Amino acid sequence: MKLIKISAVVMASLMMVACASGPKISYGDATAVETTTTGFGSTDLQTIAATLVDDLVSFPPVVQMTATRRPVVFVDKIKNKTTEHIDTESITDTVQTKLLKSGKFRFVDMTAVRQIQEQMQFQMDSGMVDPSKAAAFGKQTGAEFMLYGNMSSIVKRNDSTKDVYYKFTLKLVNLESGIMEWAGEKEIRKSGEKSFFSL
Amino acid sequence: MRHVKPLMPSMTRMLHTSALLIFGLFLTACAVNETATVKVGPDGTTQILESNSGLLSASLEITDSKVGYAGNLMKAQVTLKNASRSDLTFRYKFKWLDKDDFEIAIDGRPWTPLTITPYESKSVQAIAPNPTAKSFRIMVQD
Repeated sequence: MKLIKISAVVMASLMMVACASGPKISYGDATAVETTTTGFGSTDLQTIAATLVDDLVSFPPVVQMTATRRPVVFVDKIKNKTTEHIDTESITDTVQTKLLKSGKFRFVDMTAVRQIQEQMQFQMDSGMVDPSKAAAFGKQTGAEFMLYGNMSSIVKRNDSTKDVYYKFTLKLVNLESGIMEWAGEKEIRKSGEKSFFSL
Repeated sequence: MRHVKPLMPSMTRMLHTSALLIFGLFLTACAVNETATVKVGPDGTTQILESNSGLLSASLEITDSKVGYAGNLMKAQVTLKNASRSDLTFRYKFKWLDKDDFEIAIDGRPWTPLTITPYESKSVQAIAPNPTAKSFRIMVQD
């Protein structure tokens, strides 16, 4: 009997050691579901980007438009109307990367205009670049479409529960005609209950 | 000298139960989520490649799978049915493969949480990241 008890204690201690003595820092799956808080997180960002890109590239008029050519798009900022600080540029970056990799669209990067201008100025004026190989001014392609949107949230809470609803809207507008060619929405609801330890 | 009272048998039993409970909690804390993988061929037939999750293989059924195209991008739909009497919450993820079975855009799609009520079927869809995708897999994790 005593032997059984000792063995049980040893086994329990071993389990504790196995669970507790691991490294304090570890790498995780970047695409795993993250539920640390009800705040905007990586899973929300990835889900929004994947859903909206799927929606855009499978919308019949867009499928028809991108069948033979790759329209040039300019990405405007996403208006963050939520009460949280959210890096909306990160969402549009992911959407832009996915669309570019789909082979359906091309983009002009408005965040790099100043750097491009400086580099071209250097090529033209510094005297260090072969003029026949220097990038010429006035040859850039203008965007045909603009991608922009909004992000809003509704937060409700009582003594024990917090409910957060996010709505992300993305729109594609033809710059010349002003016609909205496509709009997509993704809604996310997250609920959190106060745990025993946080009371 | 003070007299120490021996523990009552019911108290000893309680202590043993508590020890077992704590031991069980440690076991739960260390449990690893398992994964089931289903491959769907270009003709729409499904093939379960791995199913090492007891909970999911017993409760979750893949009742239908479809493959279509949006332009030259492959479109996939899988219908999942909760065959159990309780709500089933799990995560799923699509993986895309080219004609040589190389995975395209690794980590391109996130694990997506989904809850299905008892005996309900839900369809999940995804579009391939680029035209080189020729087949797909759906991963299900509890």
